[in-house]
Amino acid sequence: MKRSFISRLAILLLMAVVVVSFVGCGGSKPKATFFWATYDGLTEDFRASLETAFNKASPDAQIQIVPISWTDLQNKLTTALAGGKPPDISVVGTRWILDYMGTNSIDEVTQYVSPDTISNINPADMEAKIKGKLMGLPIAAGARIMAINNSLTKAVPTTMEELEVDAKKITKPGKIYGLIMPGKTYTELTDFAYYFYSAGGDFFAVNPDGSLGKCTVNSDAGVKALTFMAKLALKDKVVQDGFTSQVRTDAHPVFYAGKAGYVFIGAWVESAMKQANATFPVTYALIPPFKGEKQSGLVITDSIAFFSKAKNLKAAGKFIDFFYKDEWKGKFDQLVGFPPVTLSAAKDTYWQTPLYKALVDASMSAKPWPLVDHFDTMNTLVWTACEKVFQGQATPKQALDEAAAAVDKARGM
Amino acid sequence: MRWENRPRFIAIPLTVIILLLLLFPFFVMVSTMLKSGQDVYSSPPFWIPTHIEWSNFVMVWTQYRLATYFLASLIIAVGATLLNTALCVPAAYAVARLRFVGRKFALYLLLMIEMFSPVIVIISLFKIVAQIGLLDSYAALIILDALFTVAFNTWMMNGYFRTIPKDIEEAALIDGCTRVQTMTRIMLPIAVPGLVTVMIYAFIFSWNEFLFALSFISSKDKMPLTIALYNFVGRWTTQWQYLTLAAFLAIIPVLVLFYLIEKRLVAGLAGGAVKG
Amino acid sequence: MAATTLSLKQRLWNPEARLAYALLAPTIVFLAFFMFYPIIYVFVMSLYRTNQLSELTKFVGLANFVDRLTDHEFWMAAMRSVIWTACGVGVKFLFGMVIAVLLNVKYRGRKAARLLFIIPWASSVPISTLLWQWVYHPEFGLLNHTLKATGLWTNPPAWLGYPTSAFVACMWVDIWIGIPFFALVFLAGMQAIPQELYESAHMDGAGGWRGYFSITLPGLRDLILISTLLSAIWTFNDFNVIFILTRGGPALSTNILITSVYMNGFIDLRFDWAAVQAVVTFFVLTIVSVIYAQFYFRRETD
Repeated sequence: MKRSFISRLAILLLMAVVVVSFVGCGGSKPKATFFWATYDGLTEDFRASLETAFNKASPDAQIQIVPISWTDLQNKLTTALAGGKPPDISVVGTRWILDYMGTNSIDEVTQYVSPDTISNINPADMEAKIKGKLMGLPIAAGARIMAINNSLTKAVPTTMEELEVDAKKITKPGKIYGLIMPGKTYTELTDFAYYFYSAGGDFFAVNPDGSLGKCTVNSDAGVKALTFMAKLALKDKVVQDGFTSQVRTDAHPVFYAGKAGYVFIGAWVESAMKQANATFPVTYALIPPFKGEKQSGLVITDSIAFFSKAKNLKAAGKFIDFFYKDEWKGKFDQLVGFPPVTLSAAKDTYWQTPLYKALVDASMSAKPWPLVDHFDTMNTLVWTACEKVFQGQATPKQALDEAAAAVDKARGM
Repeated sequence: MRWENRPRFIAIPLTVIILLLLLFPFFVMVSTMLKSGQDVYSSPPFWIPTHIEWSNFVMVWTQYRLATYFLASLIIAVGATLLNTALCVPAAYAVARLRFVGRKFALYLLLMIEMFSPVIVIISLFKIVAQIGLLDSYAALIILDALFTVAFNTWMMNGYFRTIPKDIEEAALIDGCTRVQTMTRIMLPIAVPGLVTVMIYAFIFSWNEFLFALSFISSKDKMPLTIALYNFVGRWTTQWQYLTLAAFLAIIPVLVLFYLIEKRLVAGLAGGAVKG
Repeated sequence: MAATTLSLKQRLWNPEARLAYALLAPTIVFLAFFMFYPIIYVFVMSLYRTNQLSELTKFVGLANFVDRLTDHEFWMAAMRSVIWTACGVGVKFLFGMVIAVLLNVKYRGRKAARLLFIIPWASSVPISTLLWQWVYHPEFGLLNHTLKATGLWTNPPAWLGYPTSAFVACMWVDIWIGIPFFALVFLAGMQAIPQELYESAHMDGAGGWRGYFSITLPGLRDLILISTLLSAIWTFNDFNVIFILTRGGPALSTNILITSVYMNGFIDLRFDWAAVQAVVTFFVLTIVSVIYAQFYFRRETD
């Protein structure tokens, strides 16, 4: 008797599951899909209320905002795109755009977004304007700066060499670190780029027609940067313990815990420190160049791309017009902590703090990533080169030569 | 029984030591989930939280609405387990007890399927799921989760079925049972430990499955726990206190299931069945 | 009746066979529908140049294979895969077996112990791996802190920061996750061994160890073969643990074939290279399986 009860229960469960699982198949109204990267600070309530508000305000164009963590975004997007069903719009790293263009997967933004919205965007943030065509609408732009723990030091170095000296002064092995340097392969190449750009380096040589040619990460600037990084970490030992096991998200909290003097960081530093309940005073400065080089920081933008194969691009465009109004985009920017890309939102007094002044200052002289295909391949190769140097397996010149050659091979140069 | 008592004095301390070793990260999990964000990132770290941060529970449950993710995971895991069992038990019986051309081939085929990690085939699977209109549905996950465990489970059930002596079945056949009846009424009850094992495996696989859920589901209310947990892994910082708390909550149903089923797991051969 | 006197039709289509096909049909149909195209496509991709959308662009025959098989890193990754699998499965097996034996002993609180040992398996692999990443953190992680505080190890390394320690650290996580599976399989298997065998052995004067080696192990033989083979296949293809902990670093020292497949596919967008490595993996695992299967099928008495 017990057995038949169990089997009946199983059959009931099975039927319930079958019914539930097919519910929601075959949509009613055409809905545009938006892959929404869940930036730190962005709340689920905000996403849900944005979705509801737009759907209410425009009955014939609907949106589905799909929340995805940044770690998983590229994976999901690649699968959907290669699988033939990309979302209408998605947050993307601007550096991915060249690869999408190579397969004709994205459309020009101006086809779907109103001119009013476009003209409200700060032209300096339009990194994705390629050959005059705007292929990605900026959503977040962040220059990088140097943060200084004022309870440990007040010195503001103006060159990398000065930074080395200042960091050495405050280093107490095992207790206080001079400088935070992540040393583990990561999806972003920032921690090498800071030093590389400060040495006046460029990732690629520019051909006469403006296209990018051979990889020049192994130029003198590159070798100088990597040698300097290795010196700081291995010889001067001013860098946090176990740096080769830490990516940015592991290393920066060491700064928030008050154990380091200097860190290269972005707009999120204040909200992160608030979360970590860090109370020490902090000042901000530009990332110093090497002696004799021009000021050259790093600025990274994220964009929204429109995918050609999707079915509801016009609705997606309408949504963007709605979203980019100050009432929503301004709030977005405040939650995420990045200075606005829209001219109107930037006027808000919220952005008149020392941090944002420093960010705006830095963006004047900052360089973005090179817009090139196979960027992520280069990322991996350069990181591997750095790691080889950190592990003592190669000299900076050897490692970078190898990386540059591999990048050229991957790009067919 | 005397034979079973003797090892008890070695078994208990040894078990405790091994469990302590294995559960180390679990202790870390419990310690972290009770801490505030500030405690979590203190250096050097400490085991006992300065105070219990109850707001973690509030945050995770209300702000992040963990309950909807729980429900989605439950639907997927239960569905996949049922489908998987319905598929693998008959298949296993066939290869364990019946003689037919293609028997070895079927077993090899199942093994071949196991060799393709989801990462390798995900894009093609996406195309198929999109073609049949099952994108963003529980059905797609239920079917795929069931399929990716069916090969192994068939092999396992095959193994468990083969440990049952043939005379029991032969006696039943002589008594007039059909093959299918011997499968359900005789073999299955005896092979309950094996059945429980494969069901647990199917459940755990589906409950914890990540890649298919990430690739196929876009509606927030259909997203399972495995996706939810990644909400706490930020681009700048990871909120370990929420992550560990949500992970802890996600483990509980599995433990509950295992608790309920554990007795079946170790139900030995029913005393009289062998001699019967 | 000698088998040779049965006609082909009788061999293929007798009632027993018909029932077997019917019972197998749902499984085979489902699998064929979903897996046939993806698997064939992987083989096809390895013979073509693909674009960033994994579409086929140009037939190149075995050129991809030549390209990958002459790459030094490919062989390094392959070798690491073998070490990773052999050590991983070996240790998981040992731990699992020991735990199964321990949990089979009767004592109060056994149920609680059984419940606890499944915890490493109860969480999803990505989340467990993230948790371990946190445990391994040199600054905030409790592992090194505890080792130092208890005096067990005064200067533990930053686990994920150096080639050898990173490999060991990753292996341990993979092992940790896989132990409950083995323990469960063996525990369930031990239940099928009749008590009488132990009792009669005991009466013959055989002690606990002898009973284990002459009764338990042989009784578990099939399960041991199957579970170690399947674990080998999974461990070989275990992508999440290494990718999350080290991304194949430092300096590619933890890069195994499956992480290479993922990175070629999803990061480099070279799906053809990923396919080549998947095909090679397939052949390696097939050879191992065939060898195993010979052992297994030889044992079958009918």
